[in-house]
This record gives sequence, C-alpha cells and structure tokens, in this order.
Amino acid sequence: MDGFLIFIQSIRWQDVVDITLCSYILFRCYVIFRITNAYRILIGLAFLWIFQRLAVSIGLIVTSWVIQGITAVAALIIIVVFRNEIRSVLQIKNIKALFWGRPHQPIHTPVQIIADSVMALARKRIGALIVFPGKEDINEKIQSGILWDGAISQEMITSIFWEDNPVHDGAIIIEGNRIHEVGVILPLSHRQELPSYYGTRHRAAVGMAESTDSLVVVVSEERGTVHVVKDSTITPVLKKDDLEKHLQQHLGLVIKDPSSQKKEKIEIRIAAMVSVILITSVWLTIARGLDTLVTFEIPIEYMNRNPGMEIIDASVNGIKIQLGGSGPLMRTLRPDHVRIKIDLGKSVVGQNTYTITNENISLPPGIFIKSFYPDVVDVTLDVPDKKDLPVQVDWTGKLSENLRMEKVTIEPSVVQIIGGRQLLKNITTVYTEKIPLESIQSSRTIIVNLALSPASLKVAPGFKDKITVECTVKDQSKNGL
Amino acid sequence: MVYFQKWKMVLGGAATLLCLGAFCDKDGLSGAVAAEKLTITSAVMCEDVQDRLPLYEGVVFSISTGRVVCYTLFDPVPEKTVITHNWYNRDNLSTKIKLPLLPPRWTTYSAIQLRESDKGPWRVEITDSEGQILQVLRFSVTD
Repeated sequence: MDGFLIFIQSIRWQDVVDITLCSYILFRCYVIFRITNAYRILIGLAFLWIFQRLAVSIGLIVTSWVIQGITAVAALIIIVVFRNEIRSVLQIKNIKALFWGRPHQPIHTPVQIIADSVMALARKRIGALIVFPGKEDINEKIQSGILWDGAISQEMITSIFWEDNPVHDGAIIIEGNRIHEVGVILPLSHRQELPSYYGTRHRAAVGMAESTDSLVVVVSEERGTVHVVKDSTITPVLKKDDLEKHLQQHLGLVIKDPSSQKKEKIEIRIAAMVSVILITSVWLTIARGLDTLVTFEIPIEYMNRNPGMEIIDASVNGIKIQLGGSGPLMRTLRPDHVRIKIDLGKSVVGQNTYTITNENISLPPGIFIKSFYPDVVDVTLDVPDKKDLPVQVDWTGKLSENLRMEKVTIEPSVVQIIGGRQLLKNITTVYTEKIPLESIQSSRTIIVNLALSPASLKVAPGFKDKITVECTVKDQSKNGL
Repeated sequence: MVYFQKWKMVLGGAATLLCLGAFCDKDGLSGAVAAEKLTITSAVMCEDVQDRLPLYEGVVFSISTGRVVCYTLFDPVPEKTVITHNWYNRDNLSTKIKLPLLPPRWTTYSAIQLRESDKGPWRVEITDSEGQILQVLRFSVTD
C-alpha cells in the first residue's frame, strides 16, 4: 500500500500530460483511419510490434529479429500499397477535423436528382456514364478528364450527355454534391462473357467497377436501359427507387438505426479507453522502470553574476550526481542533459556559500535524483583590479658547494597583474617558475615564466610574462673562500 | 596583535632569532646630522657578520649554512630610533625583529636559523619606526 502511495506521489504533472497527449494522438489516429482498409493492417502491425517486444523481453533473440524485420517491411508495404487511401484520409480541408470531431462528415450526394436525371436520360435514349468513386483513389485508372466542379442538377447532367456536347461520350465523376470531372475515359473490361450488345460504354462501366471500388451507372443510348455496375456485377435498374437504393447503399447514405449509432459510440469510447490503457502501459514500461542508476560529474553553471565581479575561486568545479530511471531512458541520458545552476544574483564580494538543492538541478523527464555530493559550494567573487608587483626568482635544488650566487638582476623587476581586488590585496610578490640551481655553473642569463597562483591571476596586457634573470655567480674556491 | 602572535609563534618554532647586534660608530657627530634623514647606506643578505662587516653576501642560501643574516648600515642616523626587520617566507610573515639605532651612524643585523621547511623564496622588509618600508631584500633558501 505504501509502495502504491509512493508511486502515486512520484507521478509528476509532466507524466500526466505525457500520457494524455499520447493517448489522444493514438485515439485520433484510430478515429481518422478506422474507415480505411489500411487501419486493419495497422492494427496487425501494432500486434506484430507487441509480439516483438514480448519476444525481446523473454529472450527470443532470433524470433524478435524476424518479427522486427517483418514489421519494418510490412510498414513499408502498407505505405506503398495504401498510399492513396492514406493520402485521401490526410487530405482533409479542415485541419481542425484532424484534432477534433469526425474527420469525414459526409457531404450528401443529391441521390434523388441524380436518379431523376438518369431516368430522364434513359427515356430520351441519351447515353450516359456516371461514376461514383468509393474509398479508393481512381485517378490512376481514368484518363483525359476535364475538371468541371459543378453543382448537380438534372439540367446540368442532361446537357453534359447531350449528343452535341463535345464531352458527351466520356464519363462524369460525381464526388459528394459536385460533378467533379467530365469527358473522362474509363478502363475497358476484357471480359469475354459480356453480352455482345454491350457497347464501349458498358465495357467501360464494367472495367471501371472491376478495377476500383466505384459504382458506375450506365444508360444505354440504343435501348434506353439503365444498369448499375459494382465490382463485377451488372444490375439492370428499371425503377427510379431501385437506382436511389443502389446509390444510397454505395454512398453510405442509408440512415443508421439508433442501435448502430449507439454501437458506434460504444466503439469510440472503447477505443479511447484502450488508447489510454495502451499508452499508460508503454509509459510504465519506458518511463517508470526504476532499474538503472548512473553517476555523472556535472559542472556547475553560475548565473546572473554581477558583471562587475569575477569568480575567483570555487570550492568545487562540479557536483557528483547519482541519477535513477528506467533502463531505456538512462541509456539515452548524457551528462549535458543534466544541468546544475547556481544563481549569483545576490552574491557579494568575498566568499559566498550556496547549498545545492533539487531546485538547482534540472533533469530530463522521467529521471530522478538519487544523491549528489557535495551539497555545499563556496564561491569566491571579487572585483577585477590591477596591481604592480615585484618579481622574485624561485630557486630550487642545490648550488655547487664552491659557488655562491652574489647577485640576481630581474627584467622586468615589476609586472602589472590583473586579478580580484581582495586577492591582489594579499599578494605582494609574484614568483617565477622554479629554476633548478644545478643548472647554474657560472654567471648566466635565464628566461623563465611567471608562476601565477591562483590561476585567475593574469599578467596585464603590455607586460611581459617572460622574465629575464641575470645571475652573477662567484667561484669561492678560486678566492680561497 | 596578529604580528605579535605570529612573532611569538615563530620564536617558539623553527626560525630562531640568533643574534641582535649593534655597533656604534664612534666617528660620527650626532649634532651635525640631527636634521638629516635616516638613510640606509648598505643592506645585504649574508651568512655572517664579522667586524661589523657582512661575510659571504648572496641571494641564495643553502640550509646547510645554518643561518642567514640581514645586515643593514644606516648613515646618518639623525636621532635615536628603532627599525624593524620583517622576515617573510613567500608572503607569510615569519618573524619581526625590532632593532635600535643610535646616532650618528649605526650598523645592525638580524638573523634566522634555517630549517628544512624554510626552503623557498624569502624577503626582508626593513621599515622605520613608523612602519615605512626603507628597503626590501630578496633571497632564497634552498637545499
């Protein structure tokens, strides 16, 4: 029980947002793609992925590889095969529909007007070919269409198929409540068993219905008959009501009964719940598996420093921090993802002591702090200043017994040093790097660097940091001393 | 106060004051120099002082020599006063030795005993009774 409470308390607001967002994205994918055939395949892919993860978790190495390969290839095939269907789903004019509501609010085709028009054409023995596309993209099957994009009316349909009209021989494409294209050439069927009296118009209707999921209405010019062609089936239509039924069924305009609407609502709700459960499971697997600890040494970042002050010294350069989180997250974690900041906004000249708390440490989501050391940092700040300081040679080693160093001349004997005011206050001399006396056998000149300590001290511009040391050595043995 | 404590510490420790010497030069005329300024005529680091003169002057002294001496000659000395030899090992005050001066001319010196831990650069600041630095002598203690 305590463990559960600790777990609940450890959930951050970012985790809640994370799960909510991802669940909603998954749910919207379902809502958008559920009307397509690709959706079923996507579900299959999801199962493949789950099996692959299961195989990995129980150590079935080869199986997991095979499933992974199949999943990758299947995903590619789906994109290629269903590209048109996916495109038609994503080509939503209203972007809002991607995020809210039903993306495909049906635009009702005026079935009654179309049926009246077709029957009128049949009575007048005017040949006609009308295509009602289904879910599939038909653009690759048709040719030579002329964009029309006109409202549907009986007069308009009659005038298109009027024999003096240049486009009357072609088919028209009706999408929604618009005549989308006219004068369209359809693919012809190569079926041998079609009646011999079927002309090109009928063969085109059958060819189109065979190669797509469209419904095609064809009116015979010679006999004044009406046929509805869907898939490979050619159905003669005698009454206007029958034609309306065919069209309504194909266009999905059959009014759904209340029970089917309720069923759809339940389906949507179940999908929403499944999305939440699925994403929560994934989140628990990836973000909450507290099984890995990593230790980094993170450099401290100092912020809001007074521009008039400089950091002269700090008790530590970095904080050793032990972090925990799930294996997958920890594997991607790099030291630069972790930042430790100290606000120097209220710092004063001299030593400032800061206690490091969790608020000073920023981490990627899903990572938690196990421990860190040290938790106190002393930062010394000072105002930059300059000071002229005499130079002194720092000799080391042992001079030969018979030699005595009588005199040392240093050039320059004084250098200007830049550093913190408080620091410079306590410094009265700058020393050279150590010069070994063993190398001195006679009077000579040596060039040596300054050994500035602490490192924050610098030689002012215009002053040499190389010091010329001229030493005068006396051989005492020659003088009998 | 700090200097006093440090001085005490040094006396109790390694740097041992060996000798405070003062030699009055009888040739000087105190009345004639009374209005003149205290002046250092000679200030050197050496290994010893003999007959009021520095012996084995140098700027590098081995610990094996045992001690190092700061020799100072003042001429003129307008009036009776004191000067101080402030011995610094690097920038840390090691010892502070007050030495009396008498007109008209005065030679005085201070010395420290050398130990292993005394290796490194040293300086002696010679200050007057008011603490004004009259001269700085620099030297090194080595193996």
